Amino acid sequence: MTIDAAEATSGSPRPVSGRGRGVRPTRGYRVFQAVNAVVLTAVVVVTLYPFVNVVARSLSDEGYIIAGQVNLVPRGFNLDTYRLVLADSMFWTNYRNTVVYTVVATVISIVLTTCYAYVLSKKHLRGRTALVGIAVFTMFFSGGLIPNYVLVTSLGMKNTIWAIAVPNAINVFNLLVMKAFFESLPDELEEAAAVDGLNTYGILLRIVLPLSKAIVATMVLFYAVAFWNSWFAAFLYLDRQDLWPVTIYLRNLIAGATGAENVGAIAEADEVQAEATLKSVTIVLTTLPILLVYPFVQRYFVRGVMLGAVKG
Amino acid sequence: MLHRSWRRAATAAVAALLAATSVAACSEDPSDAKDLSENRAGAMSDYGIGKQFTASEPVSFSILYNNHPNYPLRDDWLFWSELKARANVTLTPVAVPLSDYEQKRSLLIGAGDAPMIIPKTYPSQEDAYVSSGAILPVSDYLDLMPNLQDKISRWNLKPEIDGRRQEDGKFYILPGVHEKPWQDYSLAIRTDILDELNLTAPKTWDELYTVLKAMKARYPDVFPFSDRWSKPNPAGNLLNILAVSYGLQGAGWNFQHTSWDATAKKFVYTGATEQYKQMLQYLNKLVSEKLLDPESFTQTDDQARQKLANGKSFVISANAQAVVNDYRPDLAKTNPTAKISKIPLPVGPAGEINPASRLENGVMISAKARDSKNFVAMMQFIDWLWYSDAGQEFAKWGVEGKTFVRDAAGMPKLAPDVNVIGLNPKAPKHLQKDFGFYNGVFAYGGKPELVQGFFSAEEQEFQKVLNARPPTAVPPPHPLTDEEREQASLWETPLRDHVYQATLQFALGQRDFAQWDAYVAELRSKNMDSYLDMVNKAHDRYQKDHG
Repeated sequence: MTIDAAEATSGSPRPVSGRGRGVRPTRGYRVFQAVNAVVLTAVVVVTLYPFVNVVARSLSDEGYIIAGQVNLVPRGFNLDTYRLVLADSMFWTNYRNTVVYTVVATVISIVLTTCYAYVLSKKHLRGRTALVGIAVFTMFFSGGLIPNYVLVTSLGMKNTIWAIAVPNAINVFNLLVMKAFFESLPDELEEAAAVDGLNTYGILLRIVLPLSKAIVATMVLFYAVAFWNSWFAAFLYLDRQDLWPVTIYLRNLIAGATGAENVGAIAEADEVQAEATLKSVTIVLTTLPILLVYPFVQRYFVRGVMLGAVKG
Repeated sequence: MLHRSWRRAATAAVAALLAATSVAACSEDPSDAKDLSENRAGAMSDYGIGKQFTASEPVSFSILYNNHPNYPLRDDWLFWSELKARANVTLTPVAVPLSDYEQKRSLLIGAGDAPMIIPKTYPSQEDAYVSSGAILPVSDYLDLMPNLQDKISRWNLKPEIDGRRQEDGKFYILPGVHEKPWQDYSLAIRTDILDELNLTAPKTWDELYTVLKAMKARYPDVFPFSDRWSKPNPAGNLLNILAVSYGLQGAGWNFQHTSWDATAKKFVYTGATEQYKQMLQYLNKLVSEKLLDPESFTQTDDQARQKLANGKSFVISANAQAVVNDYRPDLAKTNPTAKISKIPLPVGPAGEINPASRLENGVMISAKARDSKNFVAMMQFIDWLWYSDAGQEFAKWGVEGKTFVRDAAGMPKLAPDVNVIGLNPKAPKHLQKDFGFYNGVFAYGGKPELVQGFFSAEEQEFQKVLNARPPTAVPPPHPLTDEEREQASLWETPLRDHVYQATLQFALGQRDFAQWDAYVAELRSKNMDSYLDMVNKAHDRYQKDHG
């Protein structure tokens, strides 16, 4: 399962099967195909190897890791670090937080981005340039860390999920990709729907969105991955560890196992094992769920970006 | 991602800057700094040395809490309930992950949202906040802290504390204090190889050279010394322990631009001194005779550990933890007959000294806390918990009969069902995880018996040797003004980079020592003299105003 998922991330294309279909490929084309296959296989190996290596290290005994003997296959199979991390109830609390934050924040982001992008795609909208300008302005300038913190705090969002979900809800890059996609839809479709009696909201919900599954799926992926990996907003605005996402939990765990904080203290044996494999275990535990999402949205992912990009 | 990392990098600077603008407005008029009549709620009128602090009414203080993953914060710790019972104090922690503690601290202070008590602040980290007025000049309130005053005078800590004074003659941090310096870092050496060659552990750097030579003679194809801790800067530990052995202030990961020249009574530039040259010549001798692995200056810790584990080297930088957690388990897997131990810090031309600082990370107080009606009670509480013998013992060992018992000599000893750092591996409960004691936020410093309470016999032996050596002299105070500090940091970066670069070139033999004067001239062209001039002026000024 992991291997499949990893392959999906590396973006390896389906094998090209041009042969035996109608026109006979030229010699040059066949050479090109061969070279292509070799290069792409190399890319797959190069991208896959580090990940397989990480998985192998996460399952190995620390002695073999220190001796530099772990490559593709785990040596001295050892699950202690997994056990150590998974046995902590705070890990599960934080993992649940991550799932909740990701789902809620992604839903909010998708709704807001879709609405904004759809409005901006309408050429007859008055003040459209200004609205685009307002969005683009935030790509280049931000209020700064402390003003943001003061703002979020005085809005009463500190220590709530809204501090994570609301301030980052619209990503301007995603917004512009989506706007370009909506602009590419033929106006005639919407005119026909209007003639048939749909109002603006009906057009958006019944005509435009069903035709935009590709771009929405892409955006879901972009947003979900971003929220899944994010820790900075949570670190800024959340003062209680039972609210933290798992990214902070694991980041802190690594810092604790490797930091100078332990100087002079002698750690327990399980912590020693943990130190050697902790980074690998962390990477596996945090990437696994999001990797599993990729295969399901990947086909939209490819098509969606193409559509948006060409017309944009 | 770029955006985010930029934000992270800019945090500290922005925080300090904003702290200046946002909090300066509400800083106090110094004339009423001493009138505490409005701030005595909950305070004890007869608080003093040897007295248990108990607030006369229930009080609560907010505290920034560095959440350590090995003992994550829990509400049901005996530590909290016992604090309530003994001191009538409730602490409300603002939990911050240890991984990014300093960044959050900057942010909260900058945003004017800092808790009253800000612990885990290392000496000199407070400098950035002083001008903002967000941090309380605690030296004004030492009379509320009898235990701290007592320790400063009994342990002769005045020079160390004076080193923390700012340009206004006040200090802004309540540092953790040790009676004896605690030097943890030294070198570890394969003692079975020493035995095999009929050698004793080297006591000086010259003896180390002899020992390495003998090892090389017996094992010609190994580099007997291959060092670690070279990221991000080369040979962080090795350069530092060498520099202090040559009488300098520090180098490597403890890089110090200036060292105090006691005979000339002025500061000199560490990287341009004759002593620095001599220590580089020593390193160069080791490298050119193939005794020290040239990769020592660039390799990762893992590479250095692998060489040691695989018998490709016999000497490596170490602290107590590295020996027990890294080197011995590594060797046990590859070579069960191997033995390795930390040797007492080798002695250099500066003679027997213990270079460790006697100051530890400590506590800053938010300037806002001064307006609290419980301010006096808070200072008394801090004095009791962090500086009284009873408070320190409580924070470290816990409650007698529950987490520890006393042996015949009255020394504390872990209760049989309580474990910490592997001392009672079978015990069902953990002093840190389950009770909240021996917590890095609350427990540090103190008398050597307390500091070394959990040390192994081996480490206690090491400390005994080092504690017999006198502590290094502390350089006199030379606080810079804000503008000077800004100017200094502009000069410091190029100077430091150049010293690092030349250090590597000289040590590895890429640059001949005949070029030493040229190198010093290069430092001059990077404003070394102006920099020294500024530091020496700051020193004179301080002597004049506050000396």
